Amino acid sequence: MSSSHAPRITIDRARVEQIAKLAALSLEEDEVEALARDLAAIVSYVEELEALDTTDVPPTANVRLGASQWREDAVQPGLSHEDALAQAPRAEHDGFAVPAFVEG
Amino acid sequence: MSDAISSLSVCALAEKVQRGEVKAAEVAEATLARIERVDPKLHGFLSVTRDAMTARAKEIDAKRARGETLGPLAGVPVAIKDAICTRGIATTAGSKILDGYVPPYDATVIARLFAADALVPGKTNMDEFAMGSSNENSAYGPAKNPWDTSRAPGGSSGGSAVAVAARMSPAALGSDTGGSIRQPAAFTGTVGVKPTYGRVSRYGLVAFASSLDQIGPFATDVRGAARVLGVVAGKDAKDATSLDAPVADYEAACGASVRGMRIGVPEEYFAAGLDGEVAASVRAAIAALEEEGCVVRPVKLPHTRFAVATYYVIATAEASSNLARFDGVRYGLRVEKTRAGAKGDLRAMYGATRDAGFGREVKRRILLGTFVLSAGYYDAYYLKAQKVRTLIVRDFEAAFRDVDVIASPTAPTPAFGLGEKTGDPLSMYLADVYTLPASLAGIPAISVPCAPAPSGLPIGLQLMAPALEEARLFALASAWEKRSPSRAPAL
Repeated sequence: MSSSHAPRITIDRARVEQIAKLAALSLEEDEVEALARDLAAIVSYVEELEALDTTDVPPTANVRLGASQWREDAVQPGLSHEDALAQAPRAEHDGFAVPAFVEG
Repeated sequence: MSDAISSLSVCALAEKVQRGEVKAAEVAEATLARIERVDPKLHGFLSVTRDAMTARAKEIDAKRARGETLGPLAGVPVAIKDAICTRGIATTAGSKILDGYVPPYDATVIARLFAADALVPGKTNMDEFAMGSSNENSAYGPAKNPWDTSRAPGGSSGGSAVAVAARMSPAALGSDTGGSIRQPAAFTGTVGVKPTYGRVSRYGLVAFASSLDQIGPFATDVRGAARVLGVVAGKDAKDATSLDAPVADYEAACGASVRGMRIGVPEEYFAAGLDGEVAASVRAAIAALEEEGCVVRPVKLPHTRFAVATYYVIATAEASSNLARFDGVRYGLRVEKTRAGAKGDLRAMYGATRDAGFGREVKRRILLGTFVLSAGYYDAYYLKAQKVRTLIVRDFEAAFRDVDVIASPTAPTPAFGLGEKTGDPLSMYLADVYTLPASLAGIPAISVPCAPAPSGLPIGLQLMAPALEEARLFALASAWEKRSPSRAPAL
């Protein structure tokens, strides 16, 4: 029963900004407020699941109707280098070009 | 002549083209003329592939002239939801972030349609990344319901439903994650099928929620949907989730006897929130099937009311992960400048690209999905929802021990007005209450038009069957259709 009681959390501006950072979304100022309101309503709605006793119920991640099968490990034609780069917003030196980044 | 071609069903049209009574080139011309005439007020298509379709039609005619036998969809236009990749033809998934994206490959379903000699008239409008129930989340403006253009055609595959309802194409492909084929089929008076999870390859489908997404057909009639499904279904080495089970003869099931078939009616689907006219129409259709010799009995699906919450946790979690790929690096939109106008680093580019490229509903769902997967909340929300999903799966397993098929309304109301629900995301989510359970359980379901509301708006009867028993759905849906042939809106 360890997960039977969901932490009721407040979805406010700060929370939305924190989640947005995890999701790599830079939100507009005016969006944050509206999204916080919407998310609070939705999260409170989904908390109705708490009412159900799911002790000893296994989770379903996927409805598996048959065992997945391995594909033969054979070389197949794939995308050409040109095709793969054709849709890139910026391609340089035969690769995808991105803005400079230094992380550490 | 042109509208005469456009009014033909999938099978009638294929037969005429196979026999040489109508040329594929004439079909292409009639289709383009019809789209040009009616689509400006409906916006069912995001792009019309005039040249590609015309060229393919000529190839099909040449093939016949050489004495070759044409395929089961000879010269039949099949409109394609814009979430399905088409080589050399823009595929946007209804999003600005994929504006101008031209896939370098065809989805498996496209290759199979072409191998069956089908025509593709264009790509259809949809809610952005298939997230929506009204088409109003399309970044390119909503499609309109051909029965009343002030109303929503449903979603997310609204454009495909509109293309078929308005007879711009006798068939279309859509994708259904939580009702995105069935609900627009109900709203537009067309036949829509969500096959068993894994029945149709998803290779080349822009992913929304991978444990739920499934491609399926729309058609003007049941047999047409059966034929299209027969063409696209089956194992595909490029999709590990596609099932290696034999594809049944769906068309043979159309017209088969339904005498003795046991139909379950779940009381939970006729509870508060169901429109009275919808309830009456669906109950009348079930009574008619009883007259056809079916045995109707009540069944219980006690966890139905938890389906919306379960779905919106699981689907958004999967979406937040799937949509991480849209980062401005390999394809689609890239925004390098921050809002202040400065040129930012890589992280700033990701954030600015996703902020500019995604619409409000997509952001909402990415945020919800990120939240339910985040440390500290995973067990309480995501894992909990997966456990409730098990209970919903078990509901169906228990019910199908007593009945062969379950019948219900497809949607709680007929088509609602454009703008009616956009201010309240939760009320929009509740429009999917009857279609979500089958999606969570991975079972097949069909929506077939039943008697319209007094206003003339279409109403859908939903039939659900155990996994891989699509043939039962076609048998029952075609038995009903015989008594209630499909109607087309006046345009």
